[in-house]
Amino acid sequence: MTITDHASTAVPPSSEPPAARAVDLVKIYGKDDAAVHALAGVNVEFRHGQFTAVMGPSGSGKSTLMHCMAGLDTPTSGHAYVGDQDIGMLDDSGLTQMRRDRVGFVFQSFNLVPTLTARENITLPSDLAGKKIDQGWFDYLVAQLGIGDRLSHRPIEMSGGQQQRAACARALIGRPDLIFADEPTGNLDSNSSSEMLGFLRRSVKEFNQSIVMVTHDPRGAAHADRVVFLADGTVVGELTSPTADSVLEHMKQLGS
Amino acid sequence: MWKVTVKGLLAHKLRLVLTGIAIVLGVTFISGTFVLTDTLHNTFTTLFGHIYQNIDFEIRGKAAFTNNSPGGGGGAVRKPIPASIITEVRHVPGVSYAEGTVSGYAQFVAPDGKAVSTGGAPTLGLSFDPNSQLSSLHLARGRAPTTANQVVMDEGTARKYHFSVGEHVRILLAGPPQTFTVSGLVRFGTADNLAGATIAAFDLPTAQRLFDETGRFDAIDVLAKPGVDKATVQHAIAAALPSGVEVVTGQTVANEQTNQINQALGFFSTALLVFAFISLFVGGFTIFNTFSITVGQRTRELALLRIVGASRRQVFRSVLVEAAILGFVASVLGLGLGVLAALGLEALLKGFGITLPSGSLVFEARTVIAAIVVGLGVTVVSAVSPARRAVRIPPVAALVDYRGEEGESSRRRIAIGTIISVLGIAALALGLTKPAIQLVGLGAIAIFIGIGMLAPTVARPMASALGRPLARVFRISGKLGRENSMRSPRRTAQTSSALMVGLALVSTITVFGASLSKSATSSVDNAVSAAYIVTATGNGQGGFSNSVATEASRVPGVATTSTVYSDEFEFRHDLATVTAVSPHHLADTVILRMDAGRGAQALAEQELLIDTTTAHKDHLAVGSVVPVRFAETGSSTMQIGGIFKPNALLGSFLVGDGFFLSHFNEPLPVAVLLSTTSGSPNITTAVKAGLKAYPNIQVQTRAQFEKAQQAQVNQLLGLVYALLALAVIIALIGIVNTLMLSVFERTHEIGLLRAVGMKRRQVRAMIRSEAVILSLFGAIIGIVIGTALGTAFAASLKQQGITDIVIPYGSLVIFLVIAALLGLGAASWPARRAARLDVLAAIAAD
Repeated sequence: MTITDHASTAVPPSSEPPAARAVDLVKIYGKDDAAVHALAGVNVEFRHGQFTAVMGPSGSGKSTLMHCMAGLDTPTSGHAYVGDQDIGMLDDSGLTQMRRDRVGFVFQSFNLVPTLTARENITLPSDLAGKKIDQGWFDYLVAQLGIGDRLSHRPIEMSGGQQQRAACARALIGRPDLIFADEPTGNLDSNSSSEMLGFLRRSVKEFNQSIVMVTHDPRGAAHADRVVFLADGTVVGELTSPTADSVLEHMKQLGS
Repeated sequence: MWKVTVKGLLAHKLRLVLTGIAIVLGVTFISGTFVLTDTLHNTFTTLFGHIYQNIDFEIRGKAAFTNNSPGGGGGAVRKPIPASIITEVRHVPGVSYAEGTVSGYAQFVAPDGKAVSTGGAPTLGLSFDPNSQLSSLHLARGRAPTTANQVVMDEGTARKYHFSVGEHVRILLAGPPQTFTVSGLVRFGTADNLAGATIAAFDLPTAQRLFDETGRFDAIDVLAKPGVDKATVQHAIAAALPSGVEVVTGQTVANEQTNQINQALGFFSTALLVFAFISLFVGGFTIFNTFSITVGQRTRELALLRIVGASRRQVFRSVLVEAAILGFVASVLGLGLGVLAALGLEALLKGFGITLPSGSLVFEARTVIAAIVVGLGVTVVSAVSPARRAVRIPPVAALVDYRGEEGESSRRRIAIGTIISVLGIAALALGLTKPAIQLVGLGAIAIFIGIGMLAPTVARPMASALGRPLARVFRISGKLGRENSMRSPRRTAQTSSALMVGLALVSTITVFGASLSKSATSSVDNAVSAAYIVTATGNGQGGFSNSVATEASRVPGVATTSTVYSDEFEFRHDLATVTAVSPHHLADTVILRMDAGRGAQALAEQELLIDTTTAHKDHLAVGSVVPVRFAETGSSTMQIGGIFKPNALLGSFLVGDGFFLSHFNEPLPVAVLLSTTSGSPNITTAVKAGLKAYPNIQVQTRAQFEKAQQAQVNQLLGLVYALLALAVIIALIGIVNTLMLSVFERTHEIGLLRAVGMKRRQVRAMIRSEAVILSLFGAIIGIVIGTALGTAFAASLKQQGITDIVIPYGSLVIFLVIAALLGLGAASWPARRAARLDVLAAIAAD
């Protein structure tokens, strides 16, 4: 599989602002005695053109972090930035605009609209924004993801792997600044998982896509450029150029 | 977004159909009403156009006053004109032909000896004008009547009762009945029959004699010579006329007649439209409910759309567009069915004795516009609140388990619901006291919406209480059904709200009707002391012969007879109905309880008696002198001789029969009251035999009369029930829809229950239990509201003669049982569907 046209042009200089960052991000659910500190002051940066994995045990706050940074949930205090935009300053229509233009999502449970075909699901964000899709880019993505023969099928007629690849195409179609992937392989068998992770890896390398992936699978995290570890709502460490073994090792240390 | 909406709609065809039915039925009703009334309007306009197209002018008495009351038909009350005028008119230059016309009461007797009944249409007696160009009657067969014992009959009656030319027919008249020979058959304009009215036409002198108009005409029809200037002729005729007589064109008369009919049709179509709107209102509740549920079920999907970039506005619009598509398709379907409904309505009315002339169906642009605007409007408006709820779904709901902000919104809902209910009650109270019917309707609508908003608050405890016996009988199935109905109080309340409205209306009518019926009964006892009451058969319209009283008085055992007359007059410049009785032996036949002044003696002295209600309202006392006006005799004043307590039979204004006869031309009795000599045995047979010559009258004892009055009320109630049935059906379809959606929503759960050993029968029992709880919940609230409304309506009409307020508990309990059974029926399809679920697939489904 050779990629020429859409290959990355240049490695970004370090002076560029991060794709997203969190500053003292706090999220508390419930009140008083029942209060749960899902995020207890998180500071983290996700750089452009980088594949970052967020790891941590259940209840460590990794999903909450992602929801808050993507503008899906409102933090109790602190700031979340996408590019240099403080998303706490945005109202609902500003957030909608941001989701349209700057971020893409891939979820564990695929989350395709059941009544639409794969093609319609992929073009949905452009349709909603009233934009014309880049047909060349669409064809390219579909070919890369190998779902060309599934475009007229509805989600129920597709395998889990196919559905997730369609969801992936949907996230990439608008060339967002950043893709948030929430346990994207959580519902996939090991073969489909590897394919999916390989594709995410390639999209970072070959078209300089920035990706933040929440996962609890060390082998998945090993595909990333960098791993951020979360526990009890705070960042407790990070690894660059991880391998499955080094991630596992780090996890063990955290656990002890 | 458009694509998502359309695809979503097509993916749920069943839901689409079930939701759409409510609108289809409502719109069918509306368009059916329009088609029917437009058709009737067109038929009558054509008919009158044909009748008057050849008459150039009509000379007639000027209108004394116009009767615009709903039952009055909008006709002007006119005085006959002297026959001598015609000589002068014939001499006016440009007049080629002029002939007088008279009309009056003439009712055929069928070969079986029974009076030909018209179901409320007039039994017309006319003078036959042999000039075929002028007459509205066209000879279809035989000859025109030329002698005192000949008559022509309308073809419709002849066909129906198998009369042919040359046969004898008995005719009931204001005087004694007579037998005539049928000399010919006529058509009325182009129709063989005028809206069910019968026509007996005589030659002019005979008609004048029979209708007591010797020397007088009701009108003179005039033809102008060809080529003359009609305006000039009209002026010339006008100059020749005495005061109080006018000349108008034939076109004017045709327009007046058409307007008169249109006014009657207007009341009729308004009445039908009210029921159509009730159906749509109930339909609005079911649409609101369906959209609320589907928005709830689609929470994840809508949140997902938000995540991939849909704005709030797009989500809002998608729900409304879904509603709009549904509303539009349903309205178009309803429009088509409306044409069929027009035929159905006609049949329904015919079933209740209201015959209408036939004509080709008229389909106006207004019908299309009204049907689509209303159908679309109701659907979209009902979907606004669910759409707003959809907008409030946060994007993160796609990823985490999301429950709406139930607590906060329910407090707000209670507050708003309370305010709307209170405003509704206030509007209703104001509307009833004023009285202003629009305000009453608005108030009722507000009460229904307000209570609908409050209902979720009591849904949980009530569902719990209603479900308890079911849980005992059906064990686990009943228990689960009960818990399902308690699970979402809001949905339970919303689902049953449509049935609530339906049953509220039904019980309003029941309570109101029972009170009306009881009042009618007790009012007869309080109004009449006569042993027998003689009235015309049928709807009591048309009157009967003056000679009935004379003949009845000859029957052995009859002590007193009193003829009751009734007609319109102007009392202090307002149109009112005046009743007349004979002051002699008044107490033998009528119960007149005086509040002030004198009774029988005042009547004998040509004074006016009024009831206490009028006296209070107009601040009148005994001795007051009031201006009155009669069509025949013009304006004058009368002194009030007494004030009597409200009497249902006599109305508000009472005069002596002598006075009445001198102020009205040829009045017909509305009733004859008979008292019997004391100790006389049952003489019903004798009275009936004595009056055998008058087949159009009925002799009833007081008890029978009461029963007949009740029967009339009940017949009207029957019609109202039939019209309300549609609203109840729509409500039931709403329940079917909700249960289907619930079954769909709980596929997984039902599969699980089946997997752990629940039998199909138990699944069915579970769904049915839920349905029964839903229906009973709606029915109970509805019946409570309806009883309150009915009581309020009845109480507000106390002055108008509803003296007794009756709450028919038996009927209300029956409604409750019927509601439960209907709920059971509504559940049968969803229950079967739930029972048939494939266990494995259900568990696998997410």
